[in-house]
Amino acid sequence: MTPVNFVRQISILMSLPSVLLMGTAAALIVILRDWRLVLLCYALMSAVLALLLSQTIPTEWALLQAVVGGLIAVMLFMSARQLRYVTRPSAGRESGWPQLASLTGFRLLTVAMAGGAFFIVRGDLPTLPMVSPLLNDAIFWLALMGVMGLALHEEPLHAGVALLVVLSAFLLIFFQLTRSRLMIGMLEGWQLLLALAISYLTVSRGLASVEPASPAGSRRWQQ
Amino acid sequence: MIVGPVLLLAGLLIAAAALYFLRRLEALSALVAAAVAAAMAFLLWHSPLAVPALLAGRPVFMGQQIQLQDLSLQITPASRALLVFLLATASATFILAWRTYQGRTFYPFGLALVAFWGMAALMQPLTLAPLMLTLAAILAVFLIQAGKAGDTRGAWRQMLFPTLSVPMFLLASWYIEQAPLNPDDLTPYRIAGWLLIAGFVLLLQPAPLHVAMPAVAGQAPPVVAAFLWIGGQSTTLFLLQRFLVTYPWLTSAVDSASWLLWLGVFTALVGGALAATQDTLGRFAGYAAVYDYGVLLVAMALRSSAGVPVAIWLLVTRTIALLTLATGAAIIRHHMESDRLDRLAGAASRLPWAVTALIAGGMALAGLPLSAQFASRWALLQLVGEIDRRWSLLLFIGAAGVLVGTVRAGRACFGKLSASPVEREPFGVAAISVVLVVAGILLGLLPQLLTGPVAAVILPLSRIGP
Repeated sequence: MTPVNFVRQISILMSLPSVLLMGTAAALIVILRDWRLVLLCYALMSAVLALLLSQTIPTEWALLQAVVGGLIAVMLFMSARQLRYVTRPSAGRESGWPQLASLTGFRLLTVAMAGGAFFIVRGDLPTLPMVSPLLNDAIFWLALMGVMGLALHEEPLHAGVALLVVLSAFLLIFFQLTRSRLMIGMLEGWQLLLALAISYLTVSRGLASVEPASPAGSRRWQQ
Repeated sequence: MIVGPVLLLAGLLIAAAALYFLRRLEALSALVAAAVAAAMAFLLWHSPLAVPALLAGRPVFMGQQIQLQDLSLQITPASRALLVFLLATASATFILAWRTYQGRTFYPFGLALVAFWGMAALMQPLTLAPLMLTLAAILAVFLIQAGKAGDTRGAWRQMLFPTLSVPMFLLASWYIEQAPLNPDDLTPYRIAGWLLIAGFVLLLQPAPLHVAMPAVAGQAPPVVAAFLWIGGQSTTLFLLQRFLVTYPWLTSAVDSASWLLWLGVFTALVGGALAATQDTLGRFAGYAAVYDYGVLLVAMALRSSAGVPVAIWLLVTRTIALLTLATGAAIIRHHMESDRLDRLAGAASRLPWAVTALIAGGMALAGLPLSAQFASRWALLQLVGEIDRRWSLLLFIGAAGVLVGTVRAGRACFGKLSASPVEREPFGVAAISVVLVVAGILLGLLPQLLTGPVAAVILPLSRIGP
């Protein structure tokens, strides 16, 4: 058995655990404050997404998603790592980066309520074309978690990963419908560029915790 | 033979890459960027699309298509008009940016942005074009943030909604492909129609999704912000027109004219109301631009024989109005070291032409007489009044809000200088302000000056196809 066939067999055997793992990782991305765990969850989610995609598109192409997901996680990790000791002068550790817009308990409660609502309306969700019922639920859950992450987070790293979760939901349905090499290349490249912008914004926002506010004069735009 | 899209897009991207390394020499970068954009605009406008022509002894076929698997790029008469407009605007903006201290990275990034907008305008299949707009939005993040540590809301918001729109367009493309397989079933058209409308709402960002515009205005250098609005919104509206002409079923699947009219009026009303109450020049300019954008959406909603010409006319006049306002705001911000209205006292005595540009730009965005926008707005209000006079009244209320904001901003610049000594505006900066103000007044007095350019664009735009 070739490695490619092995991955495909595993993918078919592990569909339900994969979807559960991916759903849990998406929920943790929204809930957790620790950026290391958030990035770990994203990398895990990308790997599982690649495993699920290998059922419908050639395994080599699906593995590209795992590679891109890993690269994105590394890119965001390196950006965030620059900010780990950032704190405001004369302030405690809790004032350091990242400054989240909500408490972890609140996010946990919100995700739990959204999860409850999701299981109640699960049977009434629209059926997506050419998608198995299991993946149908997975796509809606990922989209829901991503949108919730966008609503609950203002910090570019957390909100950016939430945006990438929404895009993962989209990739899961889109690659069931289309098997174009060009589209796969373009969409993976697009995700990388998006992650580059998110990394840049993460550093810009994080560094503001230590730098004094600059005056509104336009000299600050001179680089 | 050199193919038009390659010459244009590769030329812009190579020039952008070269200018990035030259960015420390700001005057040189600005002049080269402006010259490249102006030369491209001239070449594009004067080259025939249907037959090859000689350029420096080499054959160039501007209208030839280039194909890469399912993707293709081709310059059509309609896309040529948009590209010339974008390039000419970029050329003028680079000069303005140089004299108003907008940051060195603007010149290379500005050229690259025009290349991405151009790709969106030339791309086939149409449903992939929004992806290019998203790439432009990602690039704009670096331009808006410009190395500053701090608030990232403007850069983030302007990237978020276009990114979320891409899935809608790509899913719609699948439904559009499926529809001919079962001609009796209209469901794929209906679903594709709603997906496209949702995608366009995210891409157009009317109120209440307008949040990116004031945030960008508060964060980015004013002239850069104006350039992003002019280029991005023009290309998006061009794409909308392409979709409506290419997929005629779209107008019947969903009542696109009606929702565009509602969204346009609501956007104008929200923009006008909030422009009246802002405490900083940047956010006032942002909300005034939101009002103006709402008016443009209303013009697009009409789509009658008179609606498209008015929309094109508005697109040209708003460019002058936005650049005038942005130039005034940029100079005042730079010299006063703040753009809070309560810290601008005395600006009129030290920066008289910048304050004049600010007031003239604000009045033009409100559509007052003797401003560039007056005639085009008047024509639009008459057209809207024929449908329902209440729409015209709501647009008037929005204009009143922009006018109040302009009066507040102008008034804040008078009085005694209270802050530290402020340097007088240099001659070059004053001259640019005078040119913009005079150009606006001239177009207000002689709107027929734009008849030729507008007429040249209308015919190809009404015939654009796949």
